[in-house]
Amino acid sequence: MNQEIQDYQVQSEITPASAEEGYQVKLEIFEGPLDLLLFLIRKKKIDIHDIPIAIITRDYLEYLEKKNQINLDREAEFLFIAALLIYIKSQMLLPREQEASQEDDPRKILVDRLEEYQKIKVACTLLREKEEIQLQCWSRTFQPPIANSNDLDLLEVDLFDLAENFFLIMKRKEKENFKVIKGKDVSVEEKLKEIVDYLEKNGSMDFLEYFSSRETLEEALVSFFCLLELIKNRMVIAVQEQLFQTIRVWLRKDHQPHQHHGQSHE
Amino acid sequence: MNEQLKAILEVLIFISQEPLTLNKIKEVLGEVPEEELDSALQALQQDYADSRRGIQIIQSAGGYLFATKPEHDQWVRRFLQIEKKSKLSSAALETLSIIAYHQPITQAEISAIRGVDSTYSLKTLLQKKLIKIVGRKKAPGNPLIYRTTERFLQYFGLNSLDDLPKEEEIAKILEEEKQILS
Repeated sequence: MNQEIQDYQVQSEITPASAEEGYQVKLEIFEGPLDLLLFLIRKKKIDIHDIPIAIITRDYLEYLEKKNQINLDREAEFLFIAALLIYIKSQMLLPREQEASQEDDPRKILVDRLEEYQKIKVACTLLREKEEIQLQCWSRTFQPPIANSNDLDLLEVDLFDLAENFFLIMKRKEKENFKVIKGKDVSVEEKLKEIVDYLEKNGSMDFLEYFSSRETLEEALVSFFCLLELIKNRMVIAVQEQLFQTIRVWLRKDHQPHQHHGQSHE
Repeated sequence: MNEQLKAILEVLIFISQEPLTLNKIKEVLGEVPEEELDSALQALQQDYADSRRGIQIIQSAGGYLFATKPEHDQWVRRFLQIEKKSKLSSAALETLSIIAYHQPITQAEISAIRGVDSTYSLKTLLQKKLIKIVGRKKAPGNPLIYRTTERFLQYFGLNSLDDLPKEEEIAKILEEEKQILS
């Protein structure tokens, strides 16, 4: 299976602009208050270093008023910049004893931010071009067949991936809502042995499948701890063939059989 | 030009599972003068670029690999029955650029530059493995620190972070825009 194809499928699932995009959806082209401000400044053909604060503030507030649908999260961010604009204006109105140097210009705080943001916007445009070209270049990023994967070139999963998967299973389990009549004690040590025996017999196991077939939450938890322990001791290796696919657990070839049984895991 | 060396390099790139790095080449070939290697690699790249081939050799994330040329995109997609690969959202791209230029960086620092909250974008980028968490900052609240990944380089066809658009390049574009406006 081609990695690129996988990526494509995954992307199309994730991309929909939601949650964060609250205000952006309504303002459509503006990523945020700074974006809007830059737009207004450009429209007026104003030099970023010499912004007539009063005019820009008026334009800015006008724009916000037109968009009267309120999304509190986003609103706060837009209002913050509005407040900053008004603050700057008030600073500029204060009488000064001597002509302000450029360093003292109350607008500096805003100009610095706008300049930095402007740079990022340009960088985005350039990266977007690169992205477009790159999306049209396809490479052969296939994975080796799993059968002879003793050399383990596969994507080794990190703790976050494992934990994420684990919680996914736990959520599913929660919904099942079993009534356990009599709890069975599960010891870490027994479980360790059981997992290793299982792996020795079957070669590998499917992470998702294994945990979802555990009887109780407790047993699943203990199994998960055992698995982490085994990975830490470099007895087994957890491998994900491709992003967002199931995680497979393999016994490491170089592990010493049964040596682990001597260790105690309380 | 050492034609045999060129052919061997072609083979290695072809057989490699990931972008073929110079280190790996040296590991396989042993004693080959650096200049000879460089010129052979360049010549090989040139061969593919020049000829009317559909394949090219690109440098990505510190190594060489085969990839199709962009102009044949539609045929690949037709073959794989894929409409079009989706791009990053503007918010995600903006967040990613900030991380790329300012890494290592925390979420608060990113949001300060953007002027908007970046929680969702960060989540998307982490899921796509374009960024990673590299630790926590020794500051109040111990916020997480983010960096871009190898996958980020590959995604944009960059060889290393040095390949990011340069400050001067950006300044030049801004200057040009200013001239057009006034």
